[in-house]
Formats: sequence, C-alpha cells, structure tokens
Amino acid sequence: MVKMFKYALKLVFRRKLRTFLTSLGIMIAVMLMTFILFGMTDLKNAVVSEFSSRFSPQDLYVSGNDILMFGGMNTAPSKDDKEEKSIILNDVEKKKIEEIDGVEYVEPISTISNVEIYLEGDNTPYPLNFIGGSNLPGTHHMYKGFYGNDDTLDNGEIFVSDFVVSFFETTKEDIIGKKILVKSSNSGNFLSTASKSMLNKDYQFTISGVTESGGDAFFINNNDALNMLVDLGGFSSQQDYINTVGYSQLLVYTQEGKTSKIEKYITDDLGLYVISTETVLGFLDTLTAGLTIALVIFGGISALVASIGIINTMIMSIYEQTKEIGIIKAMGASNFQILIIFLIQSAIIGLIGGILGLSITFLSMKLADPFIVEALTEQGFGTLKTFFNFQPLNAIYITIGSILIGIIAGLYPARKASTIDPIQALRYE
Amino acid sequence: MSEYIQVQNLKRVYKPSKEVIVNALNGLNFSIEKGDLISVIGSSGSGKSTFLNILGGLDWNYTGDIIVDGKDIKQYNQNFYRRFIVGTIFQQFYLIPSLTVEENILLPTKFVKSMNKYELNKRLEYILKETELTDRRKHYPNQLSGGQAQRVAIARAMIDSPKILLADEPTGNLDSKTGESIINLIKTLNKQEGITTIIVTHDMKIAKQTNKIITLVDGKNV
Repeated sequence: MVKMFKYALKLVFRRKLRTFLTSLGIMIAVMLMTFILFGMTDLKNAVVSEFSSRFSPQDLYVSGNDILMFGGMNTAPSKDDKEEKSIILNDVEKKKIEEIDGVEYVEPISTISNVEIYLEGDNTPYPLNFIGGSNLPGTHHMYKGFYGNDDTLDNGEIFVSDFVVSFFETTKEDIIGKKILVKSSNSGNFLSTASKSMLNKDYQFTISGVTESGGDAFFINNNDALNMLVDLGGFSSQQDYINTVGYSQLLVYTQEGKTSKIEKYITDDLGLYVISTETVLGFLDTLTAGLTIALVIFGGISALVASIGIINTMIMSIYEQTKEIGIIKAMGASNFQILIIFLIQSAIIGLIGGILGLSITFLSMKLADPFIVEALTEQGFGTLKTFFNFQPLNAIYITIGSILIGIIAGLYPARKASTIDPIQALRYE
Repeated sequence: MSEYIQVQNLKRVYKPSKEVIVNALNGLNFSIEKGDLISVIGSSGSGKSTFLNILGGLDWNYTGDIIVDGKDIKQYNQNFYRRFIVGTIFQQFYLIPSLTVEENILLPTKFVKSMNKYELNKRLEYILKETELTDRRKHYPNQLSGGQAQRVAIARAMIDSPKILLADEPTGNLDSKTGESIINLIKTLNKQEGITTIIVTHDMKIAKQTNKIITLVDGKNV
C-alpha cells in the first residue's frame, strides 16, 4: 500500500500545475466552508458572550404587550389573542409577580421616548431619543462596570454609558458632575397614545456615574422617570400614569433553577410577555443555524463545482495514462489496485486543496481579526478580545471532508481506469 | 525434458460487428519443454499477437486449453499469473517516462510483495548487471537509447523471476546490431535463469537462433 501511495504521489505530482489548478476549486470551497463554519460560530459566540455578560440567566423581562426591543423573540401568544391579552403593567401585576415562589425581586423600568438629549455646553443632540428609568444601582449586573462615587441614583441624577462619554469626546472623570439636558419633542408619536396633552418641556439631570453598558444608555431613577412621564403626558399623578399606561417593563430576578417555571407561569397564567436569556439565546441559535445552513449550501455548491473539476482532471489523466494503465496491468496490477491508485490521486488533490484553503483562511483570520474586533467593539461588543477562534478539531474535519470530496469525485474516473482492457490500453495512442 | 507448456486446440474468435467474425486462432496445438527457447513466426494477421496476449494473461476469452507446469492457466489468479508466471517484453518497450530505470524495473513489485527488501535489492543489482544498466539506473527513459530501453523492459520482465519470458517482436524497433545484442541477452537469461522463453518475431534470422520454430498461418501452426 505504501508503494502504491508513493506511486500515486509520483503520478499526481507529474503534472504539478494541473494538480494545483484542480485543487484550487477545493481550496475555494474549503475557504468558503471554513469562513462560514468558523465565522458563524465565532459570531454566535461573540453575541452570546456579549449578551451573557449583560444579562443574567435568572433575569426575566416582563412586558404587558409584545412591543419589545426583541420583537418576535419573546414567548408571544398568537396573533388572535394579542388584543385581549394586552395588559397594563401596574402595581397589581407587579405584586402578582412578586408573590410567585422563587422571585427574588421585581424592578419596574419606565422608558421615556421621543426626547432630545444634550450635554451641557454642547449643541449636538445625542443620536438616541429615549431614557430608561429604574432604581437599579450602578453595580447591578446589567451594567458591566461602573465609575462614580455613589452607585445609587438619587432624584435629579443620571448615569450615562461609556458610549455617551465617547460621543461627547470627553472622559468619564470629566463628565461626572456635568448636566444632561432633556427636551421633549413633538416629532414622534409615542406620547400621542400615552399622553393627555402635548407639552414642550425641558429637564435637567446631573451626571453621577458612568456605566459600561456596551451601548447607548441614559438611566435616571424610576421616580424621576415617572415624574417626567406624568408631566409630559398630563397625568394627575404617578399612580394615574401607572394605572393608565403602566410600567414599560418589569425586570424579574429569579432564584436559580426556578427561572423556566416562573417564565411559564407569567406567560401562561398572568398572560404577560416574557423575554428571558434562554429565549434570546434560543432565537440566536435558530438564527445562526438558519444562516449557517443557507451559507453551507453555497459552500456545498462550490464543493460540487470543485468535484466536477476533479472528475474532469482525473478523466483527462486516464486518457493520458491509458497506456501506462495497460503496462501496469500487464505487470500484474489488479483492477482494484488501479482503482486505489486513482482514488489516492484524487484524494491527494482534495488534500492539497483542503490544506491550501485552511492555510489561507487561517492567515486571513489572523490578519482580519483585529479589524473585526475593532468594528464589533464600536458596535458595542465590549467583551471581545478576539473574534476568530481557529478550532483545530474543525480544521481536521474540514481536511477529512476535502479528502472525501476528492475520493468521491475520483470514484467514477477510478472505476473507469480500473476496468480498461489492458490490450486496448497498450494499443492506445 | 518434460512438456512445460501445452497448448491444446486453442481458438480465439473476435466479433468486431454482428456480421463479421474473425477466427484469429483456429485450433492451435503445440508444446514447449521447460527452459526451452522457441520462436513463433508468421505473417501479419497470422495470430501471433493474439497468441501472445493469451499466453501473457492479457486475454482470457479463448477456448481450448493452455497447461503450464501441469496446471490450466485459467486456474490461476489472473494478476498472479501475469506477475509471477509470465514476464512480457514488447516491441515498443512500454516504459513509464516519469520513472527512472530503477523505478521502471521495480514497477511490478509495487503491487504485490514477493520478497523482502534485501532479496529485492540483490535481485535488482543482479538484473541491472546482467542487462548492463547499472550506471543508467537513475536515468529516465528519454535519456536512453532504444537498445537500453529494451534492456530496461527485459529487466522489468525478469525482476520477479517469472517462469516464462514472452518477447513480442523485441527487436522490431531496433537496428540490426542492437537487435542482435538484445537477442543475445535473452539467450543468456534463458540459459542462466532456465526460463522458458518464447520470442514472437517475423525475422527468420532471429527465429533460427532458437531451439524450435512454430509457424502460424491463419491461426494454426503448420
């Protein structure tokens, strides 16, 4: 077998250029497949890692309707019962959740939309038009880090994210103590459904902390948020607003091991909408799996084209080696040995393509990695150190795959070569 | 001396098309003694090549019997027969251009292991010496003369010490002087190795140097 392998090696390297050009097809297919498999895995890992660093698996985000930022990802009831199940998240609902066994705490979140946000002394509005209101401390796990003297939000104070600091071209040390100006805007329509009158108002908050949230964020305490909503909407009191509009969301922190049960209870028994880490990660899984399948089909098509290239080369090779096949048959080589010699040749072409493809992919990954990390960091992926992780086991699978493609593509030509009549082969010109 | 090869009522019919039937061999009968050197002569189309292909184990679609060393050759594994029972040399040498002289000679040994490395090297050195190719062992076929190329083909046919050496017009592509040296080499190997040798030729001068001449006419020996 070793001798046959050496002989096949000699045959395949007799025509170096053709072997190289044929293996290019496999190389391209391998590059595509590798980028898809590694890229999608790494992208998913990056998103999961980023998401997991910000959200605890024990967190549940509860809403009265399914108009949430992860629209489509929560455990939404069907379209038909959407209307009747739209529930106002008031203190009654909050209390019902607090009473569920395993719930550690429930934190109301109120969101103020359609506002313009300025930094004191800067006329450029921040390109974000909403503020979150909650009583979560700056050291809460939903922030990845906190800078400031006091992590509690008092009335009139605001936390801003590191993105905000970066936008206003200052430092976290310098921005502390400065004012954030919030102006209500008439351009949107959010308040039209939640307000009793339309008012133009200005509000002012003092920056008391900088959060590492990995994204755009302004946070005030829930009391200030509700006061603003009452003021902007023309409600009589916070209670009036809560009973009429309700909290935007409730952050429910659950005991470990009880999250799924509580999520099911809130959804099924209370008729509310829930987003959990599990749901989001499940959605990401589905999304990346779908994308991977679609891209693998493209990779598969290129592998098919490469296989046709190998078949073509091997058939050409048979024509060129017809006399040689006759000679070695006359010397005692069996049909099976001829078959093996040709399969080894096509497997070698596959192997060369695989190694070339993997090498180029590896180098490209190494070169592109810092740029991708930089781009993703700008998009809020703060935890990212490297994007591409070259997995040796996957590389082995891909190499085996490319050899298999070579062997499969070589089956027909090898069989054709093995069944050549030696007398006809020796006469072949 | 015993009859080593017996050819009995050997027939080979070709049907190139539905209407055409060619009787290439039409009841061939003869026998050859062990270690004998014989020639088969005949005009073009007399069935020489057909006979050689059958005896060389390349064509098994014949009727009749060929007994070698008391055993019908159809009882042999075809590859084994081609490898260890017969060694064939051709008019066109049929060397593999990308392999060196040494590699060409060792080509048959790539497919079945018949001896250990030491024995194989010893055999190779012996064959290279007998065929006067020792200093050409690393040359490629395109660096050889016609006579040298045919010597390589002979060495390749002999490497596995077959029982029968078949030579199909071995001097057909060579000048008379070189042809003479090749015939002398075949005669030498026939004597030294005791190998039963059959030379197919149309050259009467060569045929006369063998112990027995079988003349084929229309697929029969006369």
